[in-house]
Amino acid sequence: MSTFSGLSIALSSLYAQRRGLDVTGQNVANANTDGYSRQRVLLESVGGPQTPAMWSTWSGAGSGVRAADVERIRDMFLEQRAQAEHGEQSRLDTQQTTFSRLEQLFDEPGDLGLAQAFGDFWNSWHDLANAPGDMAARKQVLQRASAVTDTLNGAYTQVATEWSGARDQLSALAHEVNATAASVAQLNGTIAAAVQSGVPANELMDKRDQLVMRLSDLVGATSRSGDSGTVDVYLGGTSLVRGNIYDTLNVTGPSDFQSLGSGSVSLEWATGAFKAETPSGQAGGLLTTLNDTLPRYVSRLDEVTNALVTQVNTAHAAGYDLNGAAGQPLFDPAGTTAQNVRVVLFDASLVAASGTPSLDGSGNPVGNLDGSNADLLGKIATQTGSPDKVYRAMIVDLGVESQGVTRRAEVQASVVGQADADRESQSGVNLDEEMVNMLAFQRAYEAAARLMSTVDSTLETLINMAR
Amino acid sequence: MSSAFRVTQRSLGARALSGLQTQLGQLGRIQEQLSSGRLIAKPSDSPTGTVVAMQSRGEIRANEQYGRNASDGLGWLGMADTTLMSSLTSIRRVRDLALQGASTGSSSQTSREALAQEVDSLRDGLLQLANTQYLGRPIFGGTTTGAVAYDTTSGTYAGDTNHVARTVGDNTSVEVAFTGPEVFGPAGSDLFAVVGQIADHLRNDPASLQGDLTALDASMQNVLGRLSEVGARYSRVDAMKTAADDRVLDLKTRLSEVENVDLPKTIMDLQMQQVAYQAALGATSKVITPSLVDFLR
Repeated sequence: MSTFSGLSIALSSLYAQRRGLDVTGQNVANANTDGYSRQRVLLESVGGPQTPAMWSTWSGAGSGVRAADVERIRDMFLEQRAQAEHGEQSRLDTQQTTFSRLEQLFDEPGDLGLAQAFGDFWNSWHDLANAPGDMAARKQVLQRASAVTDTLNGAYTQVATEWSGARDQLSALAHEVNATAASVAQLNGTIAAAVQSGVPANELMDKRDQLVMRLSDLVGATSRSGDSGTVDVYLGGTSLVRGNIYDTLNVTGPSDFQSLGSGSVSLEWATGAFKAETPSGQAGGLLTTLNDTLPRYVSRLDEVTNALVTQVNTAHAAGYDLNGAAGQPLFDPAGTTAQNVRVVLFDASLVAASGTPSLDGSGNPVGNLDGSNADLLGKIATQTGSPDKVYRAMIVDLGVESQGVTRRAEVQASVVGQADADRESQSGVNLDEEMVNMLAFQRAYEAAARLMSTVDSTLETLINMAR
Repeated sequence: MSSAFRVTQRSLGARALSGLQTQLGQLGRIQEQLSSGRLIAKPSDSPTGTVVAMQSRGEIRANEQYGRNASDGLGWLGMADTTLMSSLTSIRRVRDLALQGASTGSSSQTSREALAQEVDSLRDGLLQLANTQYLGRPIFGGTTTGAVAYDTTSGTYAGDTNHVARTVGDNTSVEVAFTGPEVFGPAGSDLFAVVGQIADHLRNDPASLQGDLTALDASMQNVLGRLSEVGARYSRVDAMKTAADDRVLDLKTRLSEVENVDLPKTIMDLQMQQVAYQAALGATSKVITPSLVDFLR
């Protein structure tokens, strides 16, 4: 045992407590930093020689303390849970946005939507039934018919625009995923190098975990711990990032709404060109919007249009126009979709208001002022399967579905809040705790300093004795 | 020193913030309801309410149209009523004149010629009445596109046999006009032929006037019968119009119950929400400030 070992024990304590104070300082400084995980200095007592050897003497008191490591406090399981919940929330939020846009687009219940246009159209037939000879009433029928087709065409165009917007968003998202994955891979490489050479890389890990969380938000990525402090990121069962290697995603499939029938939009791996699994995240929500929600509501709108075109044209063909001829198609029979529906009758006298044919003296058809067919057309609204009813059913389904998604999004938001709170309770900085630690390190430092001066005075006594 | 759940300043802050945001969101929702006056702004606010609202709106529109149809029908029927009343007065005068001609069989040819001339002018008047128009259409002409129901000189029917009907309720359609033959008798033996014959017989064959009187009575009975039918239909359409108007009122009440906000309740809700929000703000400002830092020196 060395005469001066007391001094070196005190010195080791001074170093260790100073390190502790430094870490506390770092924690306090980052109390409000996003994604920061609190750190803790791991103190380790230093013992005597571990293996007995000749001439080696040891008092058994140990030889001080050392700061073995600065530990980053983060629970990987909480992290994984939060990633899953964040991905799900992003998916639901994206879907909720789609539904609320659709609801705005149809503007029901109200005085400006398609229901109103239908009502006005049917009423114009009643007005025509009251005055079959009135050209103004006839023109009104045609104008109201155009208002209906314009509303349908407009709804289609808006959905198509919505679709293109979502498609662009998906492309931008794929770029962001690729860039983020590259950053994660690069950080993984740096972290691995640091860990292997024994340098703390806590701040880098925080940064990397934040990026992984962003990937969860974007594509519902999940992570698993890899070697040497790295993290592997997975989409479905396929790795997006593995150590310092990463793959990229491409958007494939139709690029406009019209050509959607030829296939669905999906995310594809650059390597191997097979489909990437993205059940959650913004990408999951966008893919549902692109491949399911929007096309589904357009086809519902097509059903409404089809009911309108076939029912009106059939009833119209059963009547007779102002010249006594049988009714021609009012709507283009080929345009039974919301995209293509249009009025093809422009001559007001060709509107078939009459329900009975008339012949003149020489047996040629002539017109009459009967309004019974116009009356029948006006009554289409109350028939089973009328366009009004089909449309109403569609709006109700939209409401129910939208409400369902909104509720699930609300529930998910509180789940995510809980998951984040759990993470925060594990990794967040508690200032009270840091203050207590600070006091502890301060006191220990003072005590070590005191020890040093005591050893010093002891040695002084020894040295003065020989004078 | 371990607790089940570590609480940090940041998590406290986040929780307080999310609480405040929920409160503010509710405040915003109530404010939106109040400023728009509507409880259902989009289908997802209440899918069932949306169905009711859309159905009510559709029915309101339909019933308003039924009211308009009924008004139009009432115009037709009212016109038919006054026309038939005037016709009856003329027919009675014809009957008086024919009776006079028949009973004074010994009277001079000149006096009977005078009677015949009056009957002729009455016949012209009756034809004019039969050609009465409503909104440019002869009311006894069926669905003809022509301007008259009876030719003004020959007295032959120029209209067709189709009926004019108005829809005044769900599946309720009322005929609002009769065709000429239905009112004035079948072609050849209609009122105008009978009256023409009376004028002829007054001039040439007073003895046959007795037979004409029977035919005229039959025509008059027919017109009377149509008149009472017109009256009955008028009151029916009138009742349907009232029903449609009442239904519109009912439906509007129903719609507003579903769709519009209950003002006093919403204002009350707003007040309560404001109080709650202020309380949350107050609590947040008190909770977050103190930490151990404040007590160390």
